[in-house]
Amino acid sequence: MIGWRFRLSLTSWILGTVTVLFLAYQWLPIFTLGLLSFSGPTGGTTFPMNGTSLHWYQEVWRATVMNDFKPPLLRSSLLALACSATTIVLSIMAAQAMRGQFRGNGWFFYLMLLGIMAPGILVGFGFAIMMRLMDVELSWDTTTFLVQVSWTLPFGFLTMLAVFNRFDRKVEEAALTLGASRVTAFRRITLPLVLPGVIGAGLFGFSLSYDEYARSMFTTGPDATLPLAVMAQLDRQLTPEIYAVGTTTTLFSLIAITIFTFAFWAMRRSTNLERS
Amino acid sequence: MSTIRVRSPASYWLAAPAALWMLGVVVVPIALLVWVSFWGGRAFSTSSPLTIDNYARFFANPVYVKLIFGTILHTVGLMAVTGVLGYCIAYFLTMKVRSPLWRTALFLAFIIPFWTSTLIRAIAWVPFLGVNGVINQTLMFLGATQSPIEAFLYSRTGITMAQVSLYTMMAAGPVVYMLNSIAPQWREAAMTLKATPFTVFWRIVFPLTLPGVVIGQVLVFLNVMSDFATVATIGGNKHALLPNLVLLFYESSQHRAASVVAVLLMLCMLVGVVIALRVVDIRRLGAER
Repeated sequence: MIGWRFRLSLTSWILGTVTVLFLAYQWLPIFTLGLLSFSGPTGGTTFPMNGTSLHWYQEVWRATVMNDFKPPLLRSSLLALACSATTIVLSIMAAQAMRGQFRGNGWFFYLMLLGIMAPGILVGFGFAIMMRLMDVELSWDTTTFLVQVSWTLPFGFLTMLAVFNRFDRKVEEAALTLGASRVTAFRRITLPLVLPGVIGAGLFGFSLSYDEYARSMFTTGPDATLPLAVMAQLDRQLTPEIYAVGTTTTLFSLIAITIFTFAFWAMRRSTNLERS
Repeated sequence: MSTIRVRSPASYWLAAPAALWMLGVVVVPIALLVWVSFWGGRAFSTSSPLTIDNYARFFANPVYVKLIFGTILHTVGLMAVTGVLGYCIAYFLTMKVRSPLWRTALFLAFIIPFWTSTLIRAIAWVPFLGVNGVINQTLMFLGATQSPIEAFLYSRTGITMAQVSLYTMMAAGPVVYMLNSIAPQWREAAMTLKATPFTVFWRIVFPLTLPGVVIGQVLVFLNVMSDFATVATIGGNKHALLPNLVLLFYESSQHRAASVVAVLLMLCMLVGVVIALRVVDIRRLGAER
């Protein structure tokens, strides 16, 4: 009979190995993508790399009309910023409304959850049919924006709901007791306190919109967003150029997350300091 | 007292924009799909007569019917793999990693890919799976095979491999949350009463995390059922699941046929979610006993 202490450490080792192996499984493709994007001009889509160069990045930069990724990148960034801003405003309003416990708030909550649960392919396709019947021209800055906000808004809403549930209501109550109007108390006290949550909602809005493919595919007109352009290029021809684009946009999202996280951290720090 | 009065008109006004947005962009279009799937006649307009011909035509083709079962089977297989793998990872992260620094580092390592594009992560599997891909090169270097295996890229195996890496964290996330919410006293009480570690896990920890497991499985189920992008990237044109069929019909302007497939896909998902909710309820009954 083996002692339970030994078996306990054995399970730890097995689970640890599984975890580390899975980490490698998750990260290796991403690293390979990055590595292969630096392969030489004669390099193919897999190893050997045939030397290292910035050739494929130059290709992306010099690109012609067909495989030019710069306009789609600009469109995706602008769209993501717009979605982020809209998500922030609407989710603060919606979460504040939930605190008012209006009649039907249960249904409202489920409506928001539906936005997360409903698959992009159904929402995108249904919206495209609706626009067709209404004779509305599809375009990345109108229809795609409308559909993407329906995807990013519920995530921002849930974030804000969690933040409102957790923050210290006594501070708000103190302001109201001291004669501040509700609007003033909200603007001067509540909003600064929940600011880290607002940044979280904004991050959801940005990153979910920036990476969205299914919803955009049905609702974007002739001017493609970045994921659509990448997919179209993949259909035409697979070259390390795609890897270069992939590496660039992955770095771009990582930088965006870092900025948001840093802002989050700084805000939290400053509100903590003010409180103590 | 709070910055908003309970049941005040202001709360309706604040909720209205979000509610209208979700109704107009999510609820109405999906209801429209159901309606369109029953349209008959030649013209594509709201005055079309209603028929069930579109469904009859779909079910008359055995290839399509087989595709429904194929999609469900693929999804269930993936749920099993991501469920077991996700639970192991979640358990290790929350129960076995003691140092807070390591825990944060590991969490970040798992979470960061989640914030990058799923599409790019699917594409990143392409150089791995090809005939000259990394996996085949490694296998041949190790002497495991003499000639490259062609079964990875443009195959069900390759799609599954990529989807496991994409969706395991969805199964693990809710479990991590549930594991964190278990009070240490419960486990300590069981251990004081001389329960073996396995009994503690099986009778205390696992039942308490079951809601997390179910929610994770629902997330994986919904995402894999509707994931056509990975299938298209790695399966090429050789493999299709139900959502790819929606796309195929849409691209050839057969909107009514596409709506039929979309409605069937939606029904499969609803059934799945309802079954999942049943499982959680059964657990609650068991706990009260």
